[in-house]
Amino acid sequence: MNTENQYIPYTVRIAKKTIEAPNIQTYRLEFTNSEDAEKFTFKAGQFAEYGVLGEGESTFCIASPDTRKGYIECTFRTTGRVTKALANCEEEDIITLRGPFGNTFPIEDWYGKNIVFITGGIALPPLRCVIDTLLDQREKFGEISVYYGAKSVEDLTYKTELEEWANRGDVKMFITVDPGGETPDWKNFVGFVPTILEQNLPKSENAVAVIAGPPILIKMGMPILSKCGFPNNQIFTTLENRMKCGVGKCGHCTVGKTYVCKDGPVFTYEEILAMPLEY
Amino acid sequence: MELKILTSANIPTFFNSLIQSGKVVVAPVLKKNGKVFFESVESYDQVSTDYIQTVFSAKSVVFPKVEELFSYTKKEDGSVEITNDLSSVPETIIWGLRPCDSSAFNYLTEFFLRENPDSYYKTRKERTTLISISCAKADDACFCTSVGLNPGSTEGCDILFTAMGDIFYTEVMTEKGKALIDAKLFTETEEKSKEAHLAKINTKFSIEEIKERIQNAYESTQWKHESMGCLSCGACAFSCPTCTCFDIQDEGTTENGKRLRCWDACGFGQFTQHASGHNPKTNQTARRRQRLLHKFKYSVENLGIVSCVGCGRCIRICPAHLNIFENILNVTKA
Repeated sequence: MNTENQYIPYTVRIAKKTIEAPNIQTYRLEFTNSEDAEKFTFKAGQFAEYGVLGEGESTFCIASPDTRKGYIECTFRTTGRVTKALANCEEEDIITLRGPFGNTFPIEDWYGKNIVFITGGIALPPLRCVIDTLLDQREKFGEISVYYGAKSVEDLTYKTELEEWANRGDVKMFITVDPGGETPDWKNFVGFVPTILEQNLPKSENAVAVIAGPPILIKMGMPILSKCGFPNNQIFTTLENRMKCGVGKCGHCTVGKTYVCKDGPVFTYEEILAMPLEY
Repeated sequence: MELKILTSANIPTFFNSLIQSGKVVVAPVLKKNGKVFFESVESYDQVSTDYIQTVFSAKSVVFPKVEELFSYTKKEDGSVEITNDLSSVPETIIWGLRPCDSSAFNYLTEFFLRENPDSYYKTRKERTTLISISCAKADDACFCTSVGLNPGSTEGCDILFTAMGDIFYTEVMTEKGKALIDAKLFTETEEKSKEAHLAKINTKFSIEEIKERIQNAYESTQWKHESMGCLSCGACAFSCPTCTCFDIQDEGTTENGKRLRCWDACGFGQFTQHASGHNPKTNQTARRRQRLLHKFKYSVENLGIVSCVGCGRCIRICPAHLNIFENILNVTKA
C-alpha cells in the first residue's frame, strides 16, 4: 500500500486476458514500473482496488498466490459501470491498482492440518489464491478438499484449473452445479453447495475449513461446519462488503463497528458470531 | 492557555486584520432564505452575529463535499501521468464556530489520522485555525450538555471568545491561536467565570448511562418505530459535523480527468448494496440504527469518543422530524 497517500494508484498493464465463463474474466497484471512491483507485497486473503480512469474503481481479491512472482491476477464478473469498463479492456491496456488492503489467512498456522475449501460462483477467486498458495508447498499440509459449485457447468470459474486440481491426485474435489445447470455429459455433483457439503461431510479432526461465497452460502455453510465438529475459530471466511477506500474511512463496508476492509476481510466463525448479520 | 480581552468595538478591526493577513476566512453569513451558512468572506460586514447554529457544519474546510484526490492524463506512449498537489491548500481561519463544532474537529482528527492517516485531511487540518464563539443562545435542538460538552467548551478550538457585555473574553488555547493575537488589540486579564454569559441547555440524558445501556440496543424492538419517518435523504449526514462517509467517483474521460471523493451517507439505500444486488443493511431501520450506533457505540469502541457533539443540526434539518436524542433515549429504554 502507498503509505503516504493511499488514494494514488499504481498503474499496471494487462499482460493476459482469459475468459473464464460468461461475463467472467481473469486479468494477469504486471506493474508498469519495476519499483512498484518490488514494493507491492501481499499475502493470501488481501484485496485491491482495480480501476479504469474516467470510470472508477472496483474491489476484488487478489486471485493469484504470492508464491508466483512477477504478476498478480484478478478475476471478476461484469456487473456495473466499472466492471464493464474493465471487461472492455484488452491485453496491453493500462489500468490502475491500489492495495494490497486487509488482513490475511494465517496459512502458517495450518501446517500439518487438513484443509477444506467451500465456495460458490464468483467466490472461487479469493480461495484460488489460498488453494494455489497451499499447492505450491503441498508437502506442508494434510488432505486438501475443495467443494465448489456454480449455477451451471458453463458458469464454473477456472475450468482448466479445476481439472488440473482433480488430476493431481492429492486434492479431493466436490464440484457441483445447481439443479438444472448440468449438461448431459456432466459427471460431477448436482445440487447446491450446502447440500453437497452435508451429504459429503469433511472430517473435522486436525482440520481447518475456509468458506467463501455469496453471503447466503457463508450463512448456511458455517453452521454446518460447526455442527460437524470444526471449532469455530478454525472456520475461516472472507467477507466482501461494498468498499470504496480500502483503508477504513469511507464507511461502506461496516458490519457493526467492524470495517471489513481493514479489520478483515478474513474472519473466523467465532468472530462472525460476535458481529451483527450485516454482510 | 492565555487569557485576553478584546473589546467589542475592536472585533471588526481584529477580524479584518485576519483577512488582510492573506488567509481565507470562513465565517457565518446570513443568506436570503434567512438561514446562516459558513462561507468565505471579504469583510466583517458580511458576518452574521445573530445565529444559534449554521445549517451545515464547517467540516467542509477540512473534508470538502467534493475533493480532488488526483488528476490524470494519458500520454501519447500510453502511459498515465497522475498528479496530486496539496501545496495549494490555503491557510484558512474558521470564525464563529460553536464550541460543539470545534470539538467535532477533535473527533475528525482522531478518525482521519489515528490509523491509516489521510494526507488530504492532514494537510487541510494543519492549515486551519479554529476561532469559536461561546453560545449565549440555544434552541430545543441543542443538546451539547448531554454529550459531555457545554456552550463554553474549549475542546478542539484554537481561540474561544465569550461575549461579556462590551468585551470578548478570549481564551487562547494553542500556539496557532497565539499566532493570531495582536498585542495592540488584546489586553491581559485574570480568569473570569463564563457561566452567567452562556446559554442554559438542559441535559436530555446522562451520557455515561447511555453508553452502558446502548450495549444491548442493537436488538431493541424500538428501531422500527424510531426510524419510521426516515426518507433516506441524507440531510442529517450532510449537515453533521462528524459524519465522514464518502464515495469515490471519476470525472472525465479515459484520456484525462480527475478522481474525486464526495460525501456519501449511510442512510442512502445503495450505500451498502453489493454488486449482486444483495444489501446487508436491508431497510431504513437498519440504516438509521447504523448511524445512531456509530455515533454513540461504535466510535466509542473504536476510538474512545462519542461522535455526536449535540449541535442539533440533524434535528433542525430533518424533513421527517426525527430527533436523534429522542431516538437514542427510546432505543436504550430498559
